[in-house]
Amino acid sequence: MANRNYMAEHKDCNYKNGHLEPCAPLAAAYVPFQQENPPTYGNTEALMRGTLFPGLDLPFMNVVNKTVPCAGTPLGEIMALGFVIKELNLYLDTHCDDEEAFMMLRKIIALYNEGREKYVKKYGPLSVKDSIYTDSYKWLCDPWPWEYTERMGHK
Amino acid sequence: MFVYEKTLQYPVKIANPNPKLAKFIISQYGGPDGELGASLRYLSQRYSMPYPELKGLLTDIGLEELNHLEMVGAVVHQLTRCLTPDEIKAAGFETYFVDHGAGVYPQFASGTPWTAATMQVKGDTIADLTEDMAAEQKARATYDNILRMSDDPDVNNVMRFLREREVVHFQRFGEALRKTQERLDQKNIYAFNPSFDRK
Repeated sequence: MANRNYMAEHKDCNYKNGHLEPCAPLAAAYVPFQQENPPTYGNTEALMRGTLFPGLDLPFMNVVNKTVPCAGTPLGEIMALGFVIKELNLYLDTHCDDEEAFMMLRKIIALYNEGREKYVKKYGPLSVKDSIYTDSYKWLCDPWPWEYTERMGHK
Repeated sequence: MFVYEKTLQYPVKIANPNPKLAKFIISQYGGPDGELGASLRYLSQRYSMPYPELKGLLTDIGLEELNHLEMVGAVVHQLTRCLTPDEIKAAGFETYFVDHGAGVYPQFASGTPWTAATMQVKGDTIADLTEDMAAEQKARATYDNILRMSDDPDVNNVMRFLREREVVHFQRFGEALRKTQERLDQKNIYAFNPSFDRK
Protein backbone atom coordinates (compact mmCIF):
# COMPACT_ATOMS: atom_id res chain seq x y z
CA MET A 1 0.00 0.00 0.00
CA ALA A 2 2.90 2.35 0.70
CA ASN A 3 3.87 1.96 -2.92
CA ARG A 4 0.42 2.96 -4.15
CA ASN A 5 0.30 6.04 -1.92
CA TYR A 6 3.68 7.08 -3.28
CA MET A 7 2.49 6.64 -6.85
CA ALA A 8 -0.64 8.70 -6.12
CA GLU A 9 1.58 11.55 -4.90
CA HIS A 10 3.76 11.37 -8.02
CA LYS A 11 1.35 11.69 -10.90
CA ASP A 12 4.05 11.52 -13.58
CA CYS A 13 4.85 7.95 -12.50
CA ASN A 14 3.23 5.11 -14.46
CA TYR A 15 3.77 1.34 -14.56
CA LYS A 16 7.15 1.86 -16.29
CA ASN A 17 8.40 3.74 -13.22
CA GLY A 18 8.98 2.56 -9.68
CA HIS A 19 9.34 3.72 -6.14
CA LEU A 20 12.61 5.33 -4.87
CA GLU A 21 13.30 6.73 -1.41
CA PRO A 22 13.40 10.54 -1.34
CA CYS A 23 16.20 10.36 1.24
CA ALA A 24 18.48 7.31 1.45
CA PRO A 25 21.82 6.13 2.90
CA LEU A 26 24.93 6.87 0.81
CA ALA A 27 27.26 4.31 -0.79
CA ALA A 28 24.40 2.00 -1.76
CA ALA A 29 22.80 0.91 -5.05
CA TYR A 30 19.10 1.60 -5.58
CA VAL A 31 16.79 -0.06 -8.08
CA PRO A 32 13.26 1.37 -7.98
CA PHE A 33 10.67 -1.06 -6.57
CA GLN A 34 8.14 -2.21 -9.15
CA GLN A 35 4.80 -0.82 -7.97
CA GLU A 36 2.15 -3.20 -6.67
CA ASN A 37 -0.64 -4.59 -8.86
CA PRO A 38 1.25 -3.87 -12.13
CA PRO A 39 -0.39 -4.38 -15.55
CA THR A 40 0.16 -7.83 -17.06
CA TYR A 41 0.23 -9.53 -20.46
CA GLY A 42 -1.94 -12.54 -21.31
CA ASN A 43 -0.32 -15.94 -20.71
CA THR A 44 0.93 -16.67 -24.23
CA GLU A 45 2.05 -13.09 -24.83
CA ALA A 46 3.97 -13.19 -21.54
CA LEU A 47 5.85 -16.31 -22.67
CA MET A 48 6.53 -14.74 -26.08
CA ARG A 49 7.85 -11.48 -24.59
CA GLY A 50 9.83 -13.17 -21.82
CA THR A 51 8.02 -11.29 -19.05
CA LEU A 52 4.51 -11.03 -17.59
CA PHE A 53 4.98 -7.31 -17.01
CA PRO A 54 4.83 -4.65 -19.78
CA GLY A 55 6.71 -2.31 -17.41
CA LEU A 56 9.77 -4.60 -17.44
CA ASP A 57 9.61 -5.40 -21.17
CA LEU A 58 12.76 -3.64 -22.44
CA PRO A 59 13.80 -5.30 -25.74
CA PHE A 60 17.16 -4.93 -27.54
CA MET A 61 16.83 -2.54 -30.52
CA ASN A 62 13.08 -2.57 -29.74
CA VAL A 63 12.72 -5.85 -31.68
CA VAL A 64 10.26 -8.26 -30.05
CA ASN A 65 9.11 -11.82 -30.75
CA LYS A 66 5.93 -12.08 -32.83
CA THR A 67 5.49 -15.83 -32.30
CA VAL A 68 6.20 -18.68 -29.88
CA PRO A 69 6.98 -22.01 -31.63
CA CYS A 70 4.25 -24.07 -29.91
CA ALA A 71 1.61 -21.39 -29.23
CA GLY A 72 -1.92 -22.79 -29.29
CA THR A 73 -0.86 -26.43 -28.78
CA PRO A 74 -1.75 -28.32 -25.59
CA LEU A 75 1.90 -28.23 -24.41
CA GLY A 76 2.16 -24.56 -25.39
CA GLU A 77 -0.76 -23.72 -23.09
CA ILE A 78 0.90 -25.50 -20.17
CA MET A 79 4.27 -23.83 -20.87
CA ALA A 80 2.60 -20.38 -20.91
CA LEU A 81 0.81 -21.06 -17.60
CA GLY A 82 4.01 -22.47 -16.08
CA PHE A 83 5.89 -19.34 -17.15
CA VAL A 84 3.32 -17.01 -15.58
CA ILE A 85 3.57 -19.02 -12.34
CA LYS A 86 7.37 -18.59 -12.37
CA GLU A 87 7.13 -14.86 -13.07
CA LEU A 88 4.60 -14.32 -10.25
CA ASN A 89 6.80 -16.45 -7.98
CA LEU A 90 9.76 -14.09 -8.49
CA TYR A 91 7.54 -10.98 -8.21
CA LEU A 92 6.03 -12.20 -4.93
CA ASP A 93 9.49 -12.98 -3.51
CA THR A 94 10.04 -9.21 -3.33
CA HIS A 95 6.33 -8.15 -3.09
CA CYS A 96 4.96 -10.74 -0.65
CA ASP A 97 2.17 -8.39 0.55
CA ASP A 98 0.59 -7.92 -2.91
CA GLU A 99 -2.67 -9.82 -2.33
CA GLU A 100 -3.93 -9.37 -5.88
CA ALA A 101 -0.75 -10.95 -7.30
CA PHE A 102 -1.12 -13.83 -4.83
CA MET A 103 -4.75 -14.39 -5.91
CA MET A 104 -3.61 -14.37 -9.55
CA LEU A 105 -0.92 -16.93 -8.69
CA ARG A 106 -3.54 -19.23 -7.14
CA LYS A 107 -5.84 -18.84 -10.16
CA ILE A 108 -3.07 -19.64 -12.64
CA ILE A 109 -1.88 -22.65 -10.62
CA ALA A 110 -5.43 -24.05 -10.69
CA LEU A 111 -5.56 -23.68 -14.50
CA TYR A 112 -2.08 -25.20 -14.80
CA ASN A 113 -2.96 -28.24 -12.69
CA GLU A 114 -6.15 -28.82 -14.65
CA GLY A 115 -4.46 -28.47 -18.06
CA ARG A 116 -1.48 -30.53 -17.03
CA GLU A 117 -3.60 -33.47 -15.86
CA LYS A 118 -5.50 -33.51 -19.17
CA TYR A 119 -2.24 -33.28 -21.14
CA VAL A 120 -0.49 -36.03 -19.23
CA LYS A 121 -3.42 -38.45 -19.58
CA LYS A 122 -3.40 -37.92 -23.36
CA TYR A 123 0.28 -37.49 -24.26
CA GLY A 124 2.30 -39.08 -21.46
CA PRO A 125 4.17 -38.04 -18.32
CA LEU A 126 5.89 -34.68 -17.79
CA SER A 127 7.46 -35.98 -14.56
CA VAL A 128 7.99 -39.51 -13.23
CA LYS A 129 5.18 -39.02 -10.69
CA ASP A 130 2.75 -38.56 -13.60
CA SER A 131 3.11 -42.35 -14.08
CA ILE A 132 0.06 -42.55 -11.78
CA TYR A 133 -1.97 -41.55 -14.88
CA THR A 134 -0.36 -44.03 -17.36
CA ASP A 135 -0.99 -47.75 -17.80
CA SER A 136 2.68 -48.56 -18.53
CA TYR A 137 6.13 -46.98 -18.02
CA LYS A 138 6.01 -44.17 -20.60
CA TRP A 139 8.64 -41.91 -19.00
CA LEU A 140 11.28 -42.95 -21.52
CA CYS A 141 9.21 -42.21 -24.63
CA ASP A 142 10.76 -39.76 -27.15
CA PRO A 143 10.97 -36.89 -27.75
CA TRP A 144 12.99 -35.39 -24.90
CA PRO A 145 12.68 -31.61 -24.55
CA TRP A 146 15.95 -30.69 -26.29
CA GLU A 147 15.26 -32.76 -29.40
CA TYR A 148 14.18 -31.18 -32.68
CA THR A 149 10.76 -32.33 -33.81
CA GLU A 150 8.80 -31.22 -36.86
CA ARG A 151 5.64 -30.81 -34.82
CA MET A 152 5.91 -29.26 -31.42
CA GLY A 153 3.43 -29.39 -28.62
CA HIS A 154 2.49 -33.04 -29.10
CA LYS A 155 4.16 -36.21 -27.93
CA MET B 1 15.55 -31.14 -3.93
CA PHE B 2 14.92 -30.86 -7.61
CA VAL B 3 12.26 -32.63 -9.70
CA TYR B 4 12.70 -32.89 -13.48
CA GLU B 5 9.91 -31.71 -15.75
CA LYS B 6 10.10 -33.11 -19.26
CA THR B 7 9.61 -29.76 -20.98
CA LEU B 8 11.67 -26.64 -21.64
CA GLN B 9 10.70 -23.31 -20.08
CA TYR B 10 10.40 -21.85 -23.58
CA PRO B 11 10.22 -23.96 -26.77
CA VAL B 12 13.37 -24.42 -28.88
CA LYS B 13 12.78 -25.36 -32.49
CA ILE B 14 15.73 -24.55 -34.77
CA ALA B 15 14.80 -25.53 -38.35
CA ASN B 16 18.29 -25.17 -39.87
CA PRO B 17 21.49 -26.63 -38.37
CA ASN B 18 24.26 -24.02 -38.33
CA PRO B 19 27.49 -24.84 -36.46
CA LYS B 20 28.83 -21.31 -37.05
CA LEU B 21 26.23 -20.02 -34.58
CA ALA B 22 26.81 -22.90 -32.15
CA LYS B 23 30.48 -21.85 -31.89
CA PHE B 24 29.60 -18.68 -29.99
CA ILE B 25 26.19 -19.52 -28.49
CA ILE B 26 27.99 -22.24 -26.46
CA SER B 27 29.33 -19.35 -24.36
CA GLN B 28 25.91 -18.93 -22.77
CA TYR B 29 26.11 -22.62 -21.77
CA GLY B 30 29.53 -22.61 -20.11
CA GLY B 31 31.08 -19.19 -20.79
CA PRO B 32 32.11 -16.43 -18.35
CA ASP B 33 28.58 -14.96 -18.16
CA GLY B 34 26.65 -18.10 -19.10
CA GLU B 35 23.76 -19.99 -17.54
CA LEU B 36 25.84 -22.67 -15.78
CA GLY B 37 27.75 -20.04 -13.82
CA ALA B 38 24.52 -18.17 -13.11
CA SER B 39 22.75 -21.20 -11.65
CA LEU B 40 25.75 -22.26 -9.52
CA ARG B 41 26.33 -18.69 -8.32
CA TYR B 42 22.79 -18.24 -6.98
CA LEU B 43 22.27 -21.80 -5.74
CA SER B 44 25.60 -21.61 -3.86
CA GLN B 45 25.19 -18.07 -2.49
CA ARG B 46 21.80 -18.87 -0.95
CA TYR B 47 23.19 -20.89 1.99
CA SER B 48 24.54 -17.83 3.77
CA MET B 49 21.57 -15.57 3.00
CA PRO B 50 20.04 -14.20 6.23
CA TYR B 51 16.45 -13.29 5.25
CA PRO B 52 13.56 -15.42 3.92
CA GLU B 53 13.01 -13.31 0.79
CA LEU B 54 16.70 -13.71 -0.14
CA LYS B 55 16.74 -17.48 0.45
CA GLY B 56 13.61 -17.76 -1.69
CA LEU B 57 14.71 -15.46 -4.50
CA LEU B 58 18.16 -17.06 -4.93
CA THR B 59 16.59 -20.54 -4.95
CA ASP B 60 13.88 -19.53 -7.42
CA ILE B 61 16.17 -17.63 -9.83
CA GLY B 62 18.91 -20.31 -9.47
CA LEU B 63 16.37 -22.91 -10.57
CA GLU B 64 15.24 -20.80 -13.50
CA GLU B 65 18.88 -20.53 -14.64
CA LEU B 66 19.00 -24.33 -14.81
CA ASN B 67 16.02 -24.15 -17.18
CA HIS B 68 17.97 -21.65 -19.26
CA LEU B 69 21.06 -23.88 -19.25
CA GLU B 70 18.88 -26.64 -20.69
CA MET B 71 17.46 -24.28 -23.34
CA VAL B 72 20.90 -23.09 -24.48
CA GLY B 73 22.02 -26.73 -24.57
CA ALA B 74 19.00 -27.50 -26.77
CA VAL B 75 19.90 -24.62 -29.13
CA VAL B 76 23.52 -25.84 -29.48
CA HIS B 77 22.36 -29.46 -29.91
CA GLN B 78 19.87 -28.54 -32.63
CA LEU B 79 22.35 -26.26 -34.44
CA THR B 80 24.87 -29.13 -34.64
CA ARG B 81 22.56 -32.05 -35.49
CA CYS B 82 22.94 -34.20 -38.64
CA LEU B 83 26.23 -32.59 -39.79
CA THR B 84 28.62 -34.08 -42.37
CA PRO B 85 32.42 -33.79 -42.04
CA ASP B 86 32.41 -31.32 -44.97
CA GLU B 87 29.83 -29.11 -43.26
CA ILE B 88 31.87 -29.16 -40.05
CA LYS B 89 35.02 -28.07 -41.91
CA ALA B 90 33.20 -25.39 -43.92
CA ALA B 91 31.85 -23.85 -40.68
CA GLY B 92 35.23 -23.90 -38.93
CA PHE B 93 33.64 -26.18 -36.31
CA GLU B 94 36.41 -28.81 -36.44
CA THR B 95 38.30 -27.41 -33.42
CA TYR B 96 35.24 -28.05 -31.24
CA PHE B 97 34.31 -31.27 -33.05
CA VAL B 98 37.61 -33.11 -32.52
CA ASP B 99 37.29 -32.68 -28.74
CA HIS B 100 33.53 -32.99 -28.24
CA GLY B 101 31.91 -34.38 -31.42
CA ALA B 102 28.28 -33.29 -31.52
CA GLY B 103 28.13 -33.25 -27.71
CA VAL B 104 27.39 -30.12 -25.68
CA TYR B 105 30.39 -29.12 -23.51
CA PRO B 106 30.42 -26.15 -21.09
CA GLN B 107 33.01 -23.80 -22.54
CA PHE B 108 33.59 -20.15 -23.45
CA ALA B 109 33.16 -19.06 -27.09
CA SER B 110 36.98 -18.95 -27.11
CA GLY B 111 37.22 -22.65 -26.12
CA THR B 112 38.28 -22.19 -22.48
CA PRO B 113 36.44 -24.74 -20.30
CA TRP B 114 33.85 -23.45 -17.82
CA THR B 115 35.51 -22.36 -14.59
CA ALA B 116 34.23 -21.42 -11.15
CA ALA B 117 36.73 -18.54 -11.36
CA THR B 118 34.02 -16.65 -13.32
CA MET B 119 31.75 -16.49 -10.25
CA GLN B 120 32.01 -15.70 -6.57
CA VAL B 121 30.33 -16.66 -3.31
CA LYS B 122 31.46 -13.96 -0.89
CA GLY B 123 29.30 -14.79 2.09
CA ASP B 124 28.47 -11.08 2.41
CA THR B 125 24.87 -10.17 1.67
CA ILE B 126 25.44 -6.80 -0.03
CA ALA B 127 28.50 -8.01 -1.97
CA ASP B 128 26.74 -11.17 -3.24
CA LEU B 129 23.55 -9.36 -4.31
CA THR B 130 25.60 -6.65 -6.03
CA GLU B 131 27.54 -9.35 -7.92
CA ASP B 132 24.24 -10.92 -8.94
CA MET B 133 23.00 -7.62 -10.40
CA ALA B 134 26.26 -7.26 -12.36
CA ALA B 135 26.03 -10.89 -13.52
CA GLU B 136 22.55 -10.28 -14.96
CA GLN B 137 23.82 -7.22 -16.83
CA LYS B 138 26.77 -9.16 -18.27
CA ALA B 139 24.50 -11.97 -19.41
CA ARG B 140 22.09 -9.43 -20.93
CA ALA B 141 24.97 -7.79 -22.82
CA THR B 142 26.12 -11.23 -24.07
CA TYR B 143 22.64 -11.90 -25.48
CA ASP B 144 22.75 -8.44 -27.11
CA ASN B 145 26.02 -9.46 -28.78
CA ILE B 146 24.59 -12.81 -29.90
CA LEU B 147 21.61 -10.98 -31.43
CA ARG B 148 24.08 -8.73 -33.27
CA MET B 149 25.92 -11.78 -34.70
CA SER B 150 23.03 -14.16 -35.48
CA ASP B 151 20.63 -13.86 -38.44
CA ASP B 152 18.66 -17.06 -37.71
CA PRO B 153 15.07 -16.16 -36.71
CA ASP B 154 14.53 -19.42 -34.77
CA VAL B 155 17.69 -18.83 -32.72
CA ASN B 156 16.98 -15.14 -32.17
CA ASN B 157 13.45 -15.93 -30.95
CA VAL B 158 14.95 -17.96 -28.09
CA MET B 159 17.76 -15.45 -27.43
CA ARG B 160 15.25 -12.58 -27.05
CA PHE B 161 13.33 -14.58 -24.45
CA LEU B 162 16.50 -15.39 -22.49
CA ARG B 163 17.73 -11.79 -22.69
CA GLU B 164 14.47 -10.43 -21.28
CA ARG B 165 14.73 -12.84 -18.34
CA GLU B 166 18.07 -11.19 -17.43
CA VAL B 167 16.30 -7.81 -17.26
CA VAL B 168 13.60 -9.21 -14.95
CA HIS B 169 16.17 -10.95 -12.72
CA PHE B 170 18.17 -7.70 -12.44
CA GLN B 171 15.02 -5.95 -11.22
CA ARG B 172 14.34 -8.66 -8.61
CA PHE B 173 17.93 -8.70 -7.31
CA GLY B 174 17.80 -4.91 -7.09
CA GLU B 175 14.58 -5.09 -5.06
CA ALA B 176 16.14 -7.79 -2.85
CA LEU B 177 19.13 -5.51 -2.21
CA ARG B 178 16.76 -2.66 -1.29
CA LYS B 179 14.90 -4.91 1.15
CA THR B 180 18.25 -5.88 2.68
CA GLN B 181 19.35 -2.26 3.05
CA GLU B 182 16.07 -1.38 4.73
CA ARG B 183 16.74 -3.98 7.44
CA LEU B 184 20.21 -2.57 8.20
CA ASP B 185 21.38 0.33 10.37
CA GLN B 186 20.29 3.39 8.36
CA LYS B 187 23.20 5.43 9.76
CA ASN B 188 25.75 2.83 8.55
CA ILE B 189 24.56 0.00 6.32
CA TYR B 190 28.09 -1.50 6.41
CA ALA B 191 28.28 -1.68 10.21
CA PHE B 192 27.97 -5.50 10.08
CA ASN B 193 27.48 -8.34 7.58
CA PRO B 194 24.03 -9.90 8.15
CA SER B 195 25.27 -13.12 6.47
CA PHE B 196 27.81 -13.60 9.28
CA ASP B 197 27.56 -11.26 12.27
CA ARG B 198 24.98 -11.94 14.97
CA LYS B 199 23.09 -8.75 15.66
